[in-house]
Amino acid sequence: MATIIVDSRGTACPGPITDLIRAYRKAANGDLIELLATDVGIKSDAKAWCERTRNELVGITEDAGTYKAVIRIVSKRGMA
Amino acid sequence: MKRIIVIGGGTGGAVVANGLARHLKKEIRKGEVSVTVFDGAKFHEFQPAYLAVAFHGSNENAIRRPTSSLLSSSVRLVDENCSKIDLANKFVVGERSGKRSDFEYAAIAVGCIPDPSQIPGLSEANLDFHTSNHAKKIFDRISKFQGGKIVTGIAGLPYKCPPSPNESTFLLHEFFTKRGMREKVGLCFITPYLRPYPAEPMSEVIEPLYKERKIETLLGFNVESVDPIRKIVYSMEGESVSYDELFLVPPHITPDVIRRSEFSDSDGWVIANKRDLHVKDYDYAFAIGDNTNLPISKAGVEAHLEGVVVANNIAAEIKGTSERYLFTGRFQCTMETGFRKATFVVGTYDKPVKKIRPSFTNYVQKKIMAKIYWNAELGRCEWLFRMNFGRDYYDTISNGKTAAPAMSPMGQ
Repeated sequence: MATIIVDSRGTACPGPITDLIRAYRKAANGDLIELLATDVGIKSDAKAWCERTRNELVGITEDAGTYKAVIRIVSKRGMA
Repeated sequence: MKRIIVIGGGTGGAVVANGLARHLKKEIRKGEVSVTVFDGAKFHEFQPAYLAVAFHGSNENAIRRPTSSLLSSSVRLVDENCSKIDLANKFVVGERSGKRSDFEYAAIAVGCIPDPSQIPGLSEANLDFHTSNHAKKIFDRISKFQGGKIVTGIAGLPYKCPPSPNESTFLLHEFFTKRGMREKVGLCFITPYLRPYPAEPMSEVIEPLYKERKIETLLGFNVESVDPIRKIVYSMEGESVSYDELFLVPPHITPDVIRRSEFSDSDGWVIANKRDLHVKDYDYAFAIGDNTNLPISKAGVEAHLEGVVVANNIAAEIKGTSERYLFTGRFQCTMETGFRKATFVVGTYDKPVKKIRPSFTNYVQKKIMAKIYWNAELGRCEWLFRMNFGRDYYDTISNGKTAAPAMSPMGQ
């Protein structure tokens, strides 16, 4: 179980979701992806992405203009 | 003698080399400066036109010219790639000759390449229109296609020319509609994004076209593998889609020489400053075009505008002048939507993508760009670029002050 930090601060849509998709390819079930972004769109995009890919959105927080979406990877087939 | 080496003679490499030749004309003539391009490709290709080869049957020989013909006469071309780029010790090694060449300045512009090997089965199953021999095969296949399902879209990230997967789908729709057999062809577009186009405003423009043209979309579909025997694409989450022909854009990577360097990130992309384009930790080395880790699309316009910035800044440093350019992050990708219409995906680091409706005028602009591409590479169309891009052409910094306001801070 690893925690993967993805820093997308300073990038506009679709930068954060692009970085999330790239990190997801390398992640395994049980890993946490912590996505940092300054683009407010990540709030709705992270939620929608988790619903679509059936991964778990642990939470989204905001601190001084930086959003942190924490996602637990659970949906990859054939992976422990 | 200041020796400038440009590694790669594609869109960005040619622009930076030819820009240096113009800015440093006197210095080169006096023997105080040399500009050398390393590129093992005999031909320079206008890559966007591969879509026309694949889906219109255009002649692929018409979209390539000898690399040497696109470089100023004062630029020396070494017709081999580099097997090593040592920025710390300021030298490169020729891949074929093994010869070491030292430099005072370097610009890295080797581009990126499709890498279907990242996805099991993709190499065997897929034809990729970004790859020259595949593009021609695609046209042969669709010309003989009797009916069935064609799956297009994005197999993995990152990839170059962001609109191209959408364009390929629209051009297939046009192709089969004109042949009077569209109802026999199922088109399915798959993408790991949640929208048909990654940026929402542009997605709002093209989404109705998918519906109106009855093109199926599978969003949030992360390709895991392909079974080339059963002709099925599997997603990481266990979904699947069958096909009769598969024309996906594979994920892209940088060439080996970049991936094994100490100046690339963990995914193999050159770590560059998004504004002044310096390679991290090296104030005499720059990266432009598709091989960078910059948070923008990988396409020719960006490579061109980055080349303008780097050529100016190296020349300014050699000549001791103060004005430095900064890259604005401007992108401008054409998306052909079929039936002689096109739209543009336009923005900068600071300006989000705009909604631009498909029109015949945009289509004509796309065709004009293809016509002037070769002259643009030689630096003969900068007046047009400057006029078209306005304040986004480049930002300037002089004596520590940026001339254009409202730009984001330097660096990443």
